[in-house]
Amino acid sequence: GPEELVYKVCFTWGGPTELGQKVSSQTAALLRNPWRKEKTGSVRPVLEIYSASGVPLASLLWKSGPVVSLGWSAEEELLCVQEDGVVLVYGLHGDFRRHFSMGNEVLQNRVLDARIFHTEFGSGVAILTGAHRFTLSANVGDLKLRRMPEVPGLQSAPSCWTALCQDRVAHILLAVGPDLYLLDHAACSAVTPPGLAPGVSSFLQMAVSFTYRHLALFTDTGYIWMGTASLKEKLCEFNCNVRVPPKQMVWCSRPRSKEKAVVVAWERRLMVLKFVLDEDSYLVPELDGVRIFSRSTHEFLHEVPVASEEIFKIASMAPGALLLEAQKEYEKESQKADEYLREIQELGQLTQAVQQCIEAAGHEHRPDMQKSLLRAASFGKCFLDKFPPDSFVRMCQDLRVLNAVRDYHIGIPLTYSQYPQACWKGLFPSWILNRVKCRYKQLTIPVLLDRLVLRRLYPLAIQICEYLRLPEVQGVSRILAHWACYKVQQKDVSDEDVARAINQKLGDTPGVSYSDIAARAYGCGRTELAIKLLEYEPRSGEQVPLLLKMKRSKLALSKAIESGDTDLVFTVLLHLKNELNRGDFFMTLRNQPMALSLYRQFCKHQELETLKDLYNQDDNHQELGSFHIRASYAAEERIEGRVAALQTAADAFYKAKNEFAAKATEDQMRLLRLQRRLEDELGGQFLDLSLHDTVTSLILSGHNKRAEQLARDFRIPDKRLWWLKLTALADLEDWEELEKFSKSKKSPIGYLREDRRALPYLLPQPPSSPKPFVEICMKQHNKYEAKKYTSRVGPEQKVKALLLVGDVAQAADVAIEHRNEAELSLVLSHCTGATDGATADKIQRARAQAQKK
Amino acid sequence: MAAHLSYGRVNLNVLREAAIVWDEYLTGPFGLIAQYSLLKEHEVEKMFTLKGSRLPAADVKNIIFLVRPRLELMDIIAENVLSEDRRGPARDFHILFVPRRSLLCEQRLKDLGVLGSFIHREEYSLDLIPFDGDLLSMESEGAFKECYLESDQTSLYHAAKGLMTLQALYGTIPQIYGKGECARQVANMMIRMKREFTGSQNSIFPVFDNLLLLDRNVDLLTPLATQLTYEGLIDEIYGIQNSYVKLPPEKFAPKKQGDGGKDLPTEAKKLQLNSAEELYAEIRDKNFNAVGSVLSKKAKVISAAFEERHNAKTVGEIKQFVSQLPHMQAARGSLANHTSIAELIKDVTTSEDFFDKLTVEQEFMSGIDTDKVNSYIEDCIAQKHPLIKVLRLVCLQSVCNSGLKQKVLDYYKREILQTYGYEHILTLYNLEKAGLLKPQMGGRNNYPTIRKTLRLWMDDVNEQNPTDISYVYSGYAPLSVRLAQLLSRPGWRSIEEVLRILPGPHFEERQPLPTGLQKKRQPGENRVTLIFFLGGVTFAEIAALRFLSQLEDGGTEYVIATTKLMNGASWIESLMEKPF
Repeated sequence: GPEELVYKVCFTWGGPTELGQKVSSQTAALLRNPWRKEKTGSVRPVLEIYSASGVPLASLLWKSGPVVSLGWSAEEELLCVQEDGVVLVYGLHGDFRRHFSMGNEVLQNRVLDARIFHTEFGSGVAILTGAHRFTLSANVGDLKLRRMPEVPGLQSAPSCWTALCQDRVAHILLAVGPDLYLLDHAACSAVTPPGLAPGVSSFLQMAVSFTYRHLALFTDTGYIWMGTASLKEKLCEFNCNVRVPPKQMVWCSRPRSKEKAVVVAWERRLMVLKFVLDEDSYLVPELDGVRIFSRSTHEFLHEVPVASEEIFKIASMAPGALLLEAQKEYEKESQKADEYLREIQELGQLTQAVQQCIEAAGHEHRPDMQKSLLRAASFGKCFLDKFPPDSFVRMCQDLRVLNAVRDYHIGIPLTYSQYPQACWKGLFPSWILNRVKCRYKQLTIPVLLDRLVLRRLYPLAIQICEYLRLPEVQGVSRILAHWACYKVQQKDVSDEDVARAINQKLGDTPGVSYSDIAARAYGCGRTELAIKLLEYEPRSGEQVPLLLKMKRSKLALSKAIESGDTDLVFTVLLHLKNELNRGDFFMTLRNQPMALSLYRQFCKHQELETLKDLYNQDDNHQELGSFHIRASYAAEERIEGRVAALQTAADAFYKAKNEFAAKATEDQMRLLRLQRRLEDELGGQFLDLSLHDTVTSLILSGHNKRAEQLARDFRIPDKRLWWLKLTALADLEDWEELEKFSKSKKSPIGYLREDRRALPYLLPQPPSSPKPFVEICMKQHNKYEAKKYTSRVGPEQKVKALLLVGDVAQAADVAIEHRNEAELSLVLSHCTGATDGATADKIQRARAQAQKK
Repeated sequence: MAAHLSYGRVNLNVLREAAIVWDEYLTGPFGLIAQYSLLKEHEVEKMFTLKGSRLPAADVKNIIFLVRPRLELMDIIAENVLSEDRRGPARDFHILFVPRRSLLCEQRLKDLGVLGSFIHREEYSLDLIPFDGDLLSMESEGAFKECYLESDQTSLYHAAKGLMTLQALYGTIPQIYGKGECARQVANMMIRMKREFTGSQNSIFPVFDNLLLLDRNVDLLTPLATQLTYEGLIDEIYGIQNSYVKLPPEKFAPKKQGDGGKDLPTEAKKLQLNSAEELYAEIRDKNFNAVGSVLSKKAKVISAAFEERHNAKTVGEIKQFVSQLPHMQAARGSLANHTSIAELIKDVTTSEDFFDKLTVEQEFMSGIDTDKVNSYIEDCIAQKHPLIKVLRLVCLQSVCNSGLKQKVLDYYKREILQTYGYEHILTLYNLEKAGLLKPQMGGRNNYPTIRKTLRLWMDDVNEQNPTDISYVYSGYAPLSVRLAQLLSRPGWRSIEEVLRILPGPHFEERQPLPTGLQKKRQPGENRVTLIFFLGGVTFAEIAALRFLSQLEDGGTEYVIATTKLMNGASWIESLMEKPF
């Protein structure tokens, strides 16, 4: 049956085309006439999607509501705006992705008209409702609805309108009769194009350029105004003398002359060049020209590039044209080749000629023409010494890729200007460029690859990656990952087979995220497959959260532990703790020692009681003992509580067969009780002193008997007790008692601590020497008392003892007497200043004498 | 290695008109990479230390918390945020985790109801902080305790991450060696992480030939002994914190006549110590006994240089002399400082107690009387010398005897508990768990075998012109460094038996390099080994490794990395537990 073109939506750079309701430049979607008369009762429209070369990609029965507008997003998703304001999103292959609503107001008043437009943020949707109000979203990827202000006095639909994007803000420009209004999100302002010819009573069409920089207005008088979109400047005007409203009017970008042209299309006529069209057509503005779609053709209108013009102009004498001739003659083995070459060389234009040929080759669409131009360039290069090869090589590469994607099976007819040479050098971090799908700045290689991937042309994409030698992460692996994501959606294949097939193809390819693929599988409801795929994921940071999401917490735990990332382990643990009952949770921990010790650490700071339970569960009596010891200091205030805690600790230590700790704990309990009693009976502070300090403070407070008793009760070794007393008495400066003490019985520690080498261990006690007494007195700066003990110091300690009390002269005498060289130098090192001058001399003399002997 | 800094992802723009609230522990390490002045340049207005209750008033829009990912700190932060004055102008909160974001901490903030208050939650992956040209540290104080007492591998994970960053900057290290349980784990994590990063093929020519991962518990002995290098002694006596040392001010007072000694400065003298100071670079790793002669030689050179001015006759000569003046003055200042420090140290090292302690240590290390109760230790306890000193000696004895006889051990423990307080039973238990203090198992003492095979005790030490690493402890050659030395020549195969006695597995892993990155060694070209001490390293060990690097026929240069720069005292302290 006859099809009627209702709307067309095109996507620049070769997005899908859609006719019937919509078109895009490289792919077309088409909602076929809903009112087609068929024999059956099928009254539903059919949505069809075609590649730019007309290859059908999808066809599906339209089961949703009436569609007002179709359009392709920057991600090549088809947006179908329904009458009720719901936007349905489809993939290239007619797969339903998602839907969203443009809001209640739109729902109530229905959609009168809608536009899909593109901004640097993504793709936007603008809606004109039945109430003649506008609602728009500048980026459907991150939906934020904006209801535009009311246009005062607007009673009917505007004669034409468009969405504009300026300074990163989306506006609406609309025409009502002879007036133009600009809507931004805050206000509605009337605007007037400068230099507009008089007599206009209404605007029939308006068009903004690809970059939103220029605006064209078509009036009911057949007059066209062209100027900047800011309406600040008029560029030119033109009267075409046609009063029929054009079907379409678009800007045609002209990269060479940097000027713009407006292309106006009527039913069978195209203006600017006065084309006669065979069929009803639809225009799509492009970076460097205009695409013209019709039901059976797809053409591209653009300015002829300089290089091509120079070479192919009739009777051109441009260097490139001559070079091309020369090469042709050369192939014919004609000597004319030489003449042409000479001519170019004489003018010194060979380099330019080669460049021209290379450039012109780029703009050719037919491979045979590309080849002959490149052959000419290559021929010319032979006669140049230093022609840098990269431009030639790069052009060959570019053209191979371009020809590959232009093939009608693929159907992405990119022009050379649209092709991303700009992205060549740096090899870009693709994920960054990928996100910035910059509309104005060329698509990038990654975006081109994405386009291929969307069309499920995985092999070609991989071939291109390999041909361009892209790093695996940005190239092949990424494509394989996409392939795998597609693969997991094939529900007719078993989990095992899918997982195996994916792993076989992907292996350990760097940069493949198995967790992304697994997430996709999980999204399709294939949990088992997801788990299988996650096995191949080396990054635990990715693996674990997904496992948790899929409620495979125990598996997540073991994966987290494998990674060594303790934070990850903690995360799973806390998850498990909430998910399982306490018993199961503890059992799980028991099987994972590393997790258990981490959890213990957590409990130590956060949940002391749980810590105790954990130790109890493991019969870890040693740790339980330590736990109660800590509790006796930290948690208990009252002495009874502390003793009770210590008792529990001691019991635990016994169970742990740690007799020493148990006994020591009991000693401590005994000491605590005793200290309590001492405080009651004697006053003062005893609690929390060590045993040693308790005895000391008893001595200091004059309770020697009690001190003795305590020392006996706790079996303090004699040697330490002597030191203790000695220190305490000196602290008291009780010199009398000290002296008595020194004589009471033989000091087990000596009077001056002897060189330790001479000291055997523990028992028997060392020979007596009063050096410690000397030291202790000197510590209290009591030289007088110290001197008392020097006489009692053994001979081998004497010099040191005398030096200690500062008696250098006598020390010298003793050293000389001993004829001990080491002692002599020791004394000498203590001789300071003039006072000891005589002593020093004495020593030197003694030394000299000793040497004579 | 300062390029490290650029790897962080801190957006300095957030700092604009901001106040930083510091986790106090981080201020030290951060001082090494970003001075206050740099932060000031980025318009940081105020700096506070993180503590409870309300934040101090500051007229800023942004408050940034710079913290380690610790739960207890989250509680404090939450308290700060919640007690914010609602009537005042609203301020934006940001949180920067060092070295890594933690889900656990964020969960805690969420539980406390403040997570939403933070506009940015970022991490600053400062794993390894450069301390010197050849020295990196994570400055993670609790690393040893976490690894060996609490089986918490967090710091090992960070170490592995740090090593990955290092490899990203300086190339894949083709050969990994290791000894010890933690070393094995770090190596495993690295291999795993490498698989995770397979995408980004490292195309940097490797700087390091080898990586040696060493567990601290393979060599528990070395840190317990008193370090005898200049830097080691400064650290032992005064403690070096993030390359700064605080010294008693008296010796640094400007000497002016007629001052009469009044107006002595009372504030501690703070000095930065690193190899940027020429003189310090020369003496830091020398045995302290060799420092005096260097200082006096330097003094002569400098005064001779100043005397030169009398010889300067022509304008040109005077000009040249003047141009050298700043350098000479700096040298003179540096000399004065180090002479003062050396005097301070000398006061300690010539004391009788220091001598006695050293004698005991050396006896233990050379294997004399390690199986009996030592009377010097007894005396120390009886006189209540600092507990850390006592514990250090007892542990040293235990390690040098492969554990103490039960009777001896119990005696020491009882003495310590009675003298210092019963609560230290927890500390003693920690030391036992870490293997520092233990009963001898099976009655066998392995230490003599280890000592002889690895030549840990050298009787003929030349402190002035050393020929062996044993100079750093005047006789004892640090076990860890000996292992490194033997690995480079003749290889660990020669000491298999000893390696089996030492705890933990020893292993070797290769990380294959693409052919383009494989090194073609020139004859006489040194290998570079990165040696990572898991659980801490002492300055004396660093000195020993630097000594090996400088040996002409050594064949190996070392770069040192560690979880913490430490000494015996700070190490023991980190293992102590005070329940109140």
